[in-house]
Amino acid sequence: MTKLAYYPGCSLHGTSKEMGETAEATAKAFGYELTEIPDWNCCGNTAAHSINHLLADALPANEIAKVKVDMQLDTVVVPCAACFSRFMTTIHEMGESAETRADVENIVGRPVDTDVRILNLVDLYYDQIGVEAIKAKVTRPLEGLKVAAYYGCLLTRPPKVTLAEDPEYPVHMDEVLRALGAEPVQWGFKTDCCGASLALCEQDMCRDLIRKIVGNARDCGADVISAACPLCQVNLDTRQVDIKAADPSWQQVPILYLSQLVGTALGLPESQMGWKRHMVPVPALG
Amino acid sequence: MSPITAELGKRVNAGAETNAFKCYQCKRCSIGCPVASYGDLHPAQIMRAVQLGDTDAAAASKFIWLCTGCETCTTRCPQGIDIAAVMDELRKIAREEDKVNKDTGFANVLKLNLDSMKRWGRMSEIELVALDKLTRPSSLMADVGLGIKMFGKGKLPIIPGRGDRTQMRRMAAEAERIEAERRRMRRVPIVDKEGGE
Repeated sequence: MTKLAYYPGCSLHGTSKEMGETAEATAKAFGYELTEIPDWNCCGNTAAHSINHLLADALPANEIAKVKVDMQLDTVVVPCAACFSRFMTTIHEMGESAETRADVENIVGRPVDTDVRILNLVDLYYDQIGVEAIKAKVTRPLEGLKVAAYYGCLLTRPPKVTLAEDPEYPVHMDEVLRALGAEPVQWGFKTDCCGASLALCEQDMCRDLIRKIVGNARDCGADVISAACPLCQVNLDTRQVDIKAADPSWQQVPILYLSQLVGTALGLPESQMGWKRHMVPVPALG
Repeated sequence: MSPITAELGKRVNAGAETNAFKCYQCKRCSIGCPVASYGDLHPAQIMRAVQLGDTDAAAASKFIWLCTGCETCTTRCPQGIDIAAVMDELRKIAREEDKVNKDTGFANVLKLNLDSMKRWGRMSEIELVALDKLTRPSSLMADVGLGIKMFGKGKLPIIPGRGDRTQMRRMAAEAERIEAERRRMRRVPIVDKEGGE
């Protein structure tokens, strides 16, 4: 087993437990042990950067220092797209400005070596494990399953921070899906925002955004949507229940985590996939 | 119309670490913005208001509280302006100048979110929802049915997870101290319309 540091963030211990569990189980199947950063704190999310910019950088920096110094590791898996974005922003801003670096290290209380690899869920499969290794381990290919690979905002934007391959139409997730035997569809809302950060206060707006995203995936032939962000998954999954209640003709599309699709194709037990936590019913796969 | 002043633009630029004066109104930000049609202004109009020094239009707008932070504007801006950071900075200025738009719940949600993580080291989703309902009357009945269903699915654990709370509080206090000091130094009176610089 190769050890990788692991930062689950608040969502993967709460609303999106099944994302964390399947990320850990699938990584293990490929020989990677995801080890949680001890006593990790919240990454700060939108709240910190819209209220206190320095705290927004200091929170991820504090975790990065633990990875490098306390855990003696140089790679950390951060499956939540929002946490991933905060970690990458901190590294970018500390690299750009000596003043920011000094302030952040002062707040953290020790030097922070930011030469560390941050892997989001797509990176874990595409960069760390690799498409060929995945193909070799698939025992239940997802044949005939048409999937819309949904990135949302923060996995790719802004590219100077995320170092994403293509911020407008990224395809690494599609490549992973293809390796599982599934068929990725071309569609128009791959990197559009679902509005999850405003889920508590702008419900009508969120419902509109979700109707556009899910409706377009369905129109483009997708049976399911693959998500790599816990906020997107929860928003698209739970809000479709409302949408259907108001409009019975709405055809729901299941929103699955990429990690659940990988786990299924690897033949991991159904009971480990967390399907019962979904609001939109999940059909039999593969 | 009030005279054009540079004070708001200078303050936004300092906080957002960008240059809002470079905007030439191509409107790519507004075209790509997923929420442009839901607010009072759209991103390009906010940028213009910043350039003109119109605090009442920019910082008091509803739009800055509808911005989801999706970074499409920042990614596509041909002038390289960090437009999403401008929205963030305007939210801070709106709080400082007591100009938070009354028709938004997001300011409350963000503050409660930060409080929750300072309290536990981690953010508690159920606490955030509950406190939002208690402090913002219009949210009281929103999504009650959905919340109950989510709770039934085990998606909202009651007991908050705890991180390193001592370090969290220490860092928050230090960051707030430094940030307050910097912002005080930058805080050129924004209502000064003499513009005699």
